[in-house]
Amino acid sequence: MMGFDVGRFQGNVDEELICPICSQVLEHPVQAPKCEHAFCLTCIMEWLSHQPTCPVDRIGISSSELQPVPRILKNLLARLVIACDYAGTGCQAMVKLESLQSHVQDCEHNPQKPVSCEQGCGLVIPKDNVKDHNCVKELRSLIQNQQQKFQEFQEEVVEQRLTINELKRELNYLKEFVRAVRSSHPTMRAIADQFEKDEVRRWASTLPKAKVSRWGAMISTPDEVLQSMIRRSLSESGCPPHIMEELMENCHETQWPAGLSSLQTRQRQRREYDSYVCRRIPGKQAVLALACDNQHMSEELMVEPGIVMIFALGIE
Amino acid sequence: MANIAAQRIKREFKEVIKSEEVAKCAIKVELVSDSYTELKGEIAGPPDTPYEGGNFVLEIKVPETYPFNPPKVRFLTKIWHPNISSVTGAICLDILKDQWAAAMTLRTVLLSLQALLSAAEPDDPQDAVVAKQYKDAPDMFRLTARYWTAAYAGGPYSNPDFDSKIRRLTDMGIESHDARVALSSFNWDLERATEQLFS
Ligand SMILES: [Zn+2]
Ligand SMILES: [Zn+2]
Ligand SMILES: [Zn+2]
Ligand SMILES: [Zn+2]
Repeated sequence: MMGFDVGRFQGNVDEELICPICSQVLEHPVQAPKCEHAFCLTCIMEWLSHQPTCPVDRIGISSSELQPVPRILKNLLARLVIACDYAGTGCQAMVKLESLQSHVQDCEHNPQKPVSCEQGCGLVIPKDNVKDHNCVKELRSLIQNQQQKFQEFQEEVVEQRLTINELKRELNYLKEFVRAVRSSHPTMRAIADQFEKDEVRRWASTLPKAKVSRWGAMISTPDEVLQSMIRRSLSESGCPPHIMEELMENCHETQWPAGLSSLQTRQRQRREYDSYVCRRIPGKQAVLALACDNQHMSEELMVEPGIVMIFALGIE
Repeated sequence: MANIAAQRIKREFKEVIKSEEVAKCAIKVELVSDSYTELKGEIAGPPDTPYEGGNFVLEIKVPETYPFNPPKVRFLTKIWHPNISSVTGAICLDILKDQWAAAMTLRTVLLSLQALLSAAEPDDPQDAVVAKQYKDAPDMFRLTARYWTAAYAGGPYSNPDFDSKIRRLTDMGIESHDARVALSSFNWDLERATEQLFS
């Protein structure tokens, strides 16, 4: 790898655009930090593997100190006009250096130009392979590849399952341990309670506040599919596991507090609803009214640790 | 030969040919093989040095890894200089070793060698005998170096005293180059040179 052959360019190329290592026109140029000498990336990396100095003035440099070149140099390079890589096999095109890559990819004279097979399989193959291409053979090897990958995934799943089981056992042990510690002393209990509360607050602060514009669109009896979608979204957002179960139970009117539990009571309390502090359940038409956010609400309208409200529409 | 090395040498070859030093006949370069792996360089002895008036031919071998490694250069013309072996022509010059930098070119190498002829570095010698003479008997060194320039590089100098001492040894069947080396090494003391040649 090295720069672009000077002979491929239209007109004279300015000396400043020449790499002092390969003496060609700079390709992916970078510069030394202090002296600002510019080189092709591959050229300077190769040189630095011999000696940690600038090849022009021998000021000490390391590969991590290399910097992008100034925009003006990039622009000068981009505007140079160069002959296509396949000029030797008949392409007459002269293009700007910045568009060389896209031209070459699509150049009619590029033997590797990607084309899709028209004999049935529809695979994208290099042009020079079309002659020897055999749809059945290609597809068969594709299937074989995928089967192999599939097998690898299956093996991985087994591995992961084992790890998960191990972790579960460890986690259960830890849970038991924490429970024992918690019940052994009132101070410990207080610490653990505080810890759990803080965890809920921290999580809540990561969820954006939401505004409900259509309280009438509330779904009071969500089905299982809907519930499991909400549960997944909560879990992905980092919901602390110790409140997950209770929260999910509180997504159905059977578990809601008195003020919400039936259509009549809901209609009676309508005016109070806008006082709820709601947080968006990411990606869903659903909000969380957490007890820690809603201490101003009456007991009629709030339960620990909070309520999940799912809507047909109207969440901002 | 690696593409990058060939590209570089082609360009540098042109650079030397077009340089003003070529116009002044100070440096020259020729191809030995068409693969650009081997070249022949030539430098003129700098004025006001014992090498003035001489032309020194260099063997230049370009490694596959050029320009990440320096070219291998040695003097083909015999020369009396502290940093150049009087036997093999091997050169002790930092830029041809660890001080090489990839941006240096054939032209800078030839000019550096010419500079080396103007300013020897006796503390980093390639030829210990020459370096000792350079430090202990500088006048003798200058005469000897100029005499070698005349004998091997076409310099204009003549020294009838040295000529006659060499003739005394060649009359005894010694090759004239061996005689010149022995006499040069012993500050032109005929007796000690003879002793060494026949011991
Ligand atoms: Zn380069
Ligand atoms: Zn530099
Ligand atoms: Zn093209
Ligand atoms: Zn096909």
